[in-house]
Amino acid sequence: MPEAVIREPAAAITAPSLWSRLKVNRDWLGAWFMLPAAAFLVLFLAYPLALGIAYSFTDARIGQDIWSAPWAGIDNYLWLIEDDPFLLAVFNTLFYTFVASVLKFAIGLYLAILLNNHLPFRAIIRAIVLVPFIVPTVLSAIAFWWIFDPQFSIVSWSLRQMGVISTNIDFLGDPWNARWSVIFANVWRGVPFIAITLLAGLQTVPPSLYEAATIDGASRWQMFRYITYPLLTPIIAVVMTFSVLFTFTDFQLIKVLTNGGPAGATELMATLSFNRAILGGQRIGEGAAISTAMIPFLLACILISWFGLQRRKWQQGEAND
Amino acid sequence: MTDVPKILHAPPSAAAPLTDESEGMRYLERLPRKLVTVYLPLGIIILVLLFPFYWMTVTAIKPKEHLLDLDSHSPFYTLSPTLDHIVDLLFKTDYPLWLWNTMMISVVATVLALLASVFAAYAIVRIRYRGAQWVGGLIFLAYLVPPSILFIPLSTVIFEYGLFDTPFALILTYPTILIPFSTWLLMGYFKTIPYELEECALIDGASRWQILWKIVLPLAVPGLISAGIFCLTLCWNEFIYALTFINSTQHKTVPVAIVTAFTDGDQYRWGSLMAGALVGSLPLVILYSFFVEHYVSAMTGAVKE
Amino acid sequence: MKHLNRRSVLKGAAAAGAVGALSQTGLMDFARAWAQAAPWKPEKGAKLQLLRWKRFVQSEEDAFMALVAAYTKATGVQVSVLNESLDDVQPKASVAANTGQGPDLFWGLYSLPHLFPTKIVEVTDVATYLGKKYGGWVESAETYGKAGGKWIAIPIGYNGNVINYRQSMIEAAGHKEVPKDTAAFLDLMKALKGKNTPGGFALGRASGDGNAWVHWCLWAFGGNVVDAKDKVIINSPETAKALEYAQALYANFIPGTASWNDAFNNKAFLAGEITLTNNGVSIYASAKAGADKDPKMKEIMSDMNHSLWPVGPVGKPTEFHVAYPMMIMRYTKFPQAAKAFMAFALEAENYDKWLVGSVAYITHPLNAYDKNPVWTSDPKLTIVRDCAKRTLTAGGLGSVGERAASALADFLVLDMFASVCTGRTTVKDAVAVAERQAKRIYR
Repeated sequence: MPEAVIREPAAAITAPSLWSRLKVNRDWLGAWFMLPAAAFLVLFLAYPLALGIAYSFTDARIGQDIWSAPWAGIDNYLWLIEDDPFLLAVFNTLFYTFVASVLKFAIGLYLAILLNNHLPFRAIIRAIVLVPFIVPTVLSAIAFWWIFDPQFSIVSWSLRQMGVISTNIDFLGDPWNARWSVIFANVWRGVPFIAITLLAGLQTVPPSLYEAATIDGASRWQMFRYITYPLLTPIIAVVMTFSVLFTFTDFQLIKVLTNGGPAGATELMATLSFNRAILGGQRIGEGAAISTAMIPFLLACILISWFGLQRRKWQQGEAND
Repeated sequence: MTDVPKILHAPPSAAAPLTDESEGMRYLERLPRKLVTVYLPLGIIILVLLFPFYWMTVTAIKPKEHLLDLDSHSPFYTLSPTLDHIVDLLFKTDYPLWLWNTMMISVVATVLALLASVFAAYAIVRIRYRGAQWVGGLIFLAYLVPPSILFIPLSTVIFEYGLFDTPFALILTYPTILIPFSTWLLMGYFKTIPYELEECALIDGASRWQILWKIVLPLAVPGLISAGIFCLTLCWNEFIYALTFINSTQHKTVPVAIVTAFTDGDQYRWGSLMAGALVGSLPLVILYSFFVEHYVSAMTGAVKE
Repeated sequence: MKHLNRRSVLKGAAAAGAVGALSQTGLMDFARAWAQAAPWKPEKGAKLQLLRWKRFVQSEEDAFMALVAAYTKATGVQVSVLNESLDDVQPKASVAANTGQGPDLFWGLYSLPHLFPTKIVEVTDVATYLGKKYGGWVESAETYGKAGGKWIAIPIGYNGNVINYRQSMIEAAGHKEVPKDTAAFLDLMKALKGKNTPGGFALGRASGDGNAWVHWCLWAFGGNVVDAKDKVIINSPETAKALEYAQALYANFIPGTASWNDAFNNKAFLAGEITLTNNGVSIYASAKAGADKDPKMKEIMSDMNHSLWPVGPVGKPTEFHVAYPMMIMRYTKFPQAAKAFMAFALEAENYDKWLVGSVAYITHPLNAYDKNPVWTSDPKLTIVRDCAKRTLTAGGLGSVGERAASALADFLVLDMFASVCTGRTTVKDAVAVAERQAKRIYR
């Protein structure tokens, strides 16, 4: 009978089990996929960050855990606000960051423009230019330490031989000389990164724009100002934000070159917190307070760099990610 | 109307979409001018960038008596090079041990970081679970918390977990520096892989895991290499964690050891110090020279995101 | 009558042979005998780890390692010696004390043991034994070693930090010897600079040389960080005078001393860049070691000499030499072995050899060792013989304790002098900053 044929029971379409639904559920999968990264970042970044802020309200000593550390409230901060060496470190950090970043940007951009020309062996030159960035900072700092030696500096010696100066330059013993020397070493190290990244950005600028501008009679400076720079701003913003971040929190270069000297003239907040917490009086609470105090300054520098340099992003026509 | 700009009649090669090998603007450049405005500044900059390495090398092979006597022995070269300092470094100190430590820690930390980043990047870009964008933003924020802020509380965490003065202290903390960057980079790479490939696989019943493993990863190998190389470099360059968490000489990494090991009380062994700086940089430079393109694309790739 | 048979001859020969063997191993004999007689019997299967500051003079380290080897032979206890840079010893000791694990013995400087007195093993028995046997301890040894009337550490050696100078240069500058008072000393420095042969003292974070001279200067003019009751008195006209004197000295230094750590003055002196500085005898030892190969070293070795510090207006010597206390951590599993080691090291048969090997880099804390031959071996070295007796202690008039150690580790005095000399702050401001920091440390 037809109904019997029609009403042949089809294979039961059972509702998929919870498990097999879960397996393809995006959120579930997403959570599992994120787990390793999340584990690292929570255990070794978020938790210590919170712990650091907590420590800054205590008078902990090295080796004490947070629960046995004596509570100090905002004592550390109150003390730091009037602490001369700390205020000097804040000034040094801001000065160092600002000057080094501006110099790195200017020289890096200039170098990128130079490299953007048609050059023989461009690939090799580009590889060579990056070497200062590859080599571990402390090792090149050791070379600079010797180059800036008060008695045996190659720079002093050469200048003396040429008759330009008569006594050795006191690179690292005079407060301002030390600051400029340290900035020089930092710029030396940072320029390659900025130059190469900006170079990549420059290479995405269509040459036809330049051609059109030349035909219209634009000078090189005008081309730079109206074509190159605006198109580069997104990349500049990113690169400089990184650069500001790394410069502000620099530790290695100062530690090896001057260790904060002379008399604290090159002490940055990072080295001050290390010296106070780990080396000197071993006051973890105070060191944590200095580190925590870095955060608002750091945020401010980054925001200024990011939003200040970021302009006309809509002109790129790129949808935000 | 007849004044059509020259550009519209440019030869066909100029219309090639991505690469432009045409004459372009080059006819306007003259060699003498180029010499002064390009080659000269470039030469000076390269000289300044490379001089410290030259200096390191010369000092490392100079005999000890000549090191401090700039007047009678020119500092720029040496006529009697000696391998003494390098021999001292390799055989009389624990340098091979430190080198091994650093390499092992860097490789393991990089592998861990890459694993975590691959999963995280894939999850954010493809799985697109709820809140993926926020998580991506959080990871970016993680990059903004640098080691020099975290090292104090981290040192207490390391004590608590009993990891102090072991390589694990570094192996487990380095990924926090590496993961944000590599996730970011890999996100960029994954986005370039056409979604259609995965769609087909999904329809064919592959699980996400299989897709990741068999389709996406093989296609993203350049990205993985770039991220890996960059991560290795970051590990080698790390100093503050290594200085704070590692105490005994046999566990030190190369950067920390070179800075702390060459003092005999109040006399530095300058020659060996420079030799150490030089030899300590070599592994990275050698690795870099094989993978320059990957390194550059890692840097630029991350920045473009 | 005894039978001269083969057996008795053999026995006799064996006896004679044994006697001969004994006299060759006289040292070993002593060592073994000592091990039998010493009141501290090392535990079974004991192993020790000792962390010490990295040597300044190679022969000192060699002699020390020979001492360690003798101890091992005597007691069978293996000792592994770790060397760390001088400035790293304190942080590592603190970490070990607080985490309860690490080397069994630490050999550090100044008042390191007082940073964590409850985490150290008491060693009064060792100290009493040695004091009785060797003519008593010098006063500063008791100050550094005792906490609350009990010995917690033993300063087994001191290092004399004295003026190193070039005789020919100071004569050319019009002085036959280094002056004995501060006013004339300033004249000498001026004259040396005038002849383009300047001197220089370290003003960077030089925990040995830097601390030695700034504390000498501070105390020489009557300044002090704290008084006997640990009350902060650094803000005083005496301190200001000391700072002004240092400023006057600095104007005559070779440029760059503000970036010097402990190694820079050695380097500069041995290269002939400076003609006067303060240091232990390691510069002289370096020059001596290189004299055979390098004529310049030979010249420096014969031309240089050591002298005591000048005396300031306060009227008596105010020298600050380095004390090196050794302590046993409470978490050690082998405290008896560790005590035995400390006693062994200071026994004459071992300590005498070590003093000689260190060519006067190490000075003794026990009076009997005044007679050690190293003090008469070279007239240029005799001067450091009494440095343990002459030195003032860390903390000045105040306690040698955790706070004095903190102040030293924070470079409180050194930074004060450095900021005044480099012109970064005025005298008044520098003192104010130091006072504030001192009050926080001594609260």
